Amino acid sequence: MKPLRIPVEHKKLANGLHVVIAPDSTAPVVTVGVYYKIGFRLEPQGRSGFAHLFEHMMFQGSENAAKMQHIRLINSSGGVLNGSTMYDVTNYYQAVPSNALERVLWLEADRMRALKVDDENLRNQRDVVKEEVRVNVMNQPYGGFPWLDMPPIAFRNWANAHNFYGDFADLDAASLADVQTFFRTYYVPNNAVLLLLGDVHSAAGFALADEHFAHVSAGAPPKFADPTEPAQSEERRGDVVEKFGTLPAMAIGYVMPQRRTPDWFAMALLDQALHGGRAGRIYRDLVLEKQLAVEADGGIDDIFGYNGPTQMTTRILHKPEVTGENTLAAFDAIIREIQEKGIGDSELDQLKVKWRSDYFATLEGGRGGYMPKYGLMHLLACFTLFDGEPQLVNSILDGFLAVTKEQVQKVALTYLKPENRAIVFRKPVAASQEAA
Amino acid sequence: MATQAPRTTSTVPDLAPEREVRWPQRTKTKLANGLQLILVESHTIPKFHGELFFRSGNAAAAGHGVALAEMTATMVRTGTARNTSREIEERLRGLGADLSVSAGQDTSGISFAGLSDHAGALLQLVSELAREASFPAPEFDRERRQKLEEVKLERTQPGFLAGERLRKVLFDQHPYALVSPTEEQVSAYNSEQLQSLYRDFYTPENAILLLVGDFEPSSMQEIVERVFGAWSGKKPVAQESPAPPRPLQRRVYLVHVPGAVQTQILCGCHAITRKHPDWIKLGLTNSLYGGAFNSRLVMNIREDKGYTYSPRSGVNPLRQYGYFSVSAAVRNEVVAASLTEIFYEIDKLRSLPVPEGELLDAQNYLSGVFSMGLATQSGLLSQISTLALNELPDDYLETYRQKVRALSSADVLSAARTYFDSANMQVVVVGDRSPIESQAALFGELKIYDAQGRLQS
Repeated sequence: MKPLRIPVEHKKLANGLHVVIAPDSTAPVVTVGVYYKIGFRLEPQGRSGFAHLFEHMMFQGSENAAKMQHIRLINSSGGVLNGSTMYDVTNYYQAVPSNALERVLWLEADRMRALKVDDENLRNQRDVVKEEVRVNVMNQPYGGFPWLDMPPIAFRNWANAHNFYGDFADLDAASLADVQTFFRTYYVPNNAVLLLLGDVHSAAGFALADEHFAHVSAGAPPKFADPTEPAQSEERRGDVVEKFGTLPAMAIGYVMPQRRTPDWFAMALLDQALHGGRAGRIYRDLVLEKQLAVEADGGIDDIFGYNGPTQMTTRILHKPEVTGENTLAAFDAIIREIQEKGIGDSELDQLKVKWRSDYFATLEGGRGGYMPKYGLMHLLACFTLFDGEPQLVNSILDGFLAVTKEQVQKVALTYLKPENRAIVFRKPVAASQEAA
Repeated sequence: MATQAPRTTSTVPDLAPEREVRWPQRTKTKLANGLQLILVESHTIPKFHGELFFRSGNAAAAGHGVALAEMTATMVRTGTARNTSREIEERLRGLGADLSVSAGQDTSGISFAGLSDHAGALLQLVSELAREASFPAPEFDRERRQKLEEVKLERTQPGFLAGERLRKVLFDQHPYALVSPTEEQVSAYNSEQLQSLYRDFYTPENAILLLVGDFEPSSMQEIVERVFGAWSGKKPVAQESPAPPRPLQRRVYLVHVPGAVQTQILCGCHAITRKHPDWIKLGLTNSLYGGAFNSRLVMNIREDKGYTYSPRSGVNPLRQYGYFSVSAAVRNEVVAASLTEIFYEIDKLRSLPVPEGELLDAQNYLSGVFSMGLATQSGLLSQISTLALNELPDDYLETYRQKVRALSSADVLSAARTYFDSANMQVVVVGDRSPIESQAALFGELKIYDAQGRLQS
């Protein structure tokens, strides 16, 4: 097995902007990302959903590129673009033919330096975001399950427990002044990383980055709210109504260890043992063997990308003739077995091979079809913003491959405890109407 | 630049000279048993991606039942003459592999990806699934019960309901009208039927094997010959179905979902297949209309009016027929307003030539995005699959960009007039009938269905 040697270079401009370049000339395509270290977790109180609404505003125009210019210039250069808001970061990214690199840097620098939006833009995007929430959550069976259902049940700190997509009243209350304050506070170069991946030489890339971003003024270092959770001492449960779907569902979430601790590496393999597709213990037992469930999946969402309390979550849709308590009992039996007996040598070997293979897939992985190197970009960004160490992308795999079966059993015992978990029951109304 | 002066120029930087797009060589061969093989090197990661396609899907099985090829595909990984379901899943994990077996209207297939280190063993397992699936009775009973729950669940999804209704409207008695079975049809599935389809469809004469990834073609060729060489089987007799009539006049189909807080709009009309000489022309026209973020429809009903989050249009190529469709999930109050804009933008493209600058932007978009397939193994595989399944010319990848760039605004106007069949476009709306019924009725004769597909009025 050859060690990973992805070429990665990292510099920091005088204004604090990290620049990370990973050259690869396989295709004449370059992926450019800008990550800001602010996500929906630490958005202002009373403004739930604001970090995401703000992400939309970043496409509404900047001083030299009026509304739609950014999108038009990327598309008409032969590229694609998007942005996304996560727990602890927000990203903006585009993949373009490499001859458009400078144009992309100009656009990203312009909106980092001088976002220029008005009330009309805000009204428009507030409407768009509400339709986004309706199409993904309010008008979908199991919409938002469990990612929006779990936080208020599992957590006590507002940062971790609020509605990340936003209550409509909070979205309505958001003002242009909020947009400007948020921009000035968090969208400063000293709270961001610029990433260039693919068809770019590192010297040329750094020169262009300097040329376009050096004049963006640094801001005061952002002050972040404390996301720490008070200690949990009991299992937490809550119910949510399912409006459209007919199957009862539940999600069980266990709070994760801190990133990059020995327990964290072991949890990743435990996650794989439990949730690794049809070979994973949960799917195999609940769907294939006991046949209580129709769907059973889950895991650690974005294991490299969190910077505060997070969970490993199992999501189960079970048959209506099986009670929730019986389904949970079957789930608990799976957890108990792995706690009591651990995992075998050959299972651990399989898990590691699969982890390695999945890691490579992540590095190359696109997003929505055509976004080469999205995964590599995401890892480099998180390792830079959270760890100050983009080179981790080449070494972190070793930590997972060194995990022992004793460690897997130990983290199962330590973390998969009732007082470390929360359970959401999503209960269909349709079932009772049908019976009536 | 002579100085280090900070640069805050207000002008957009020009594009640098384009780097040449060089597509990798495709090694095409055919084994003695009829299996077509295409190998492409791509060394981006130490893995490879593959597809084993069979040129028969649900449409070819429609005489026997609905979505039968799909149910057959579901069974393939649940047991073989040599391995139980659990052994198969654990072997896959031990090889670092992902694998899925599925079927659509026109094909069935096994998709897989794994570490190059274990290529031989993974191909061996793919071969075992393609040749020796054993359809164990308990597995069949379970999968059929699973399928029953799945078909109930999909009837609660607005996107599914819209797509299903549009297909019925456009394809009538043709197999393409049937996207999913009823609960009764699932209950009537039997394992013998599936096994008979499996024997007919999963044969080397009916198959194409595509492999893209980190390997050396000649040694991969040897592995493939060794693993698949002794397989035998004939091409199944092709099933031709009579052409569906093109629906005439704009009609509206409302699928009533009580309590829906949004309306899913889906409009469509017959168009062309990917083999048609106008395909690229229509692709460019679609891209201008609603196929890209920077398209007229998205600008209008999202960025200007804020009616919707994700409006899109597309040309959907099935093997025998293609259709054009437009979709948007909009708030209930603006269903009529959104349909008005959808048709306004269609009619505008049919009436006025596209300005040169806008045309050039769209040409650049399509040719740029096309080349991105080069950058990843899965992207490249998806492009090679399109070529192989549609039997497109060998130089399709190399010549696509020139063909896009050679098109004129007269071409776009003619494609819009021919294929954006505004007057005969069929309109599906999925939502709560009370706030949207009167709005929908403005656009044509209205029929109302429930989520089970039963006509209400």
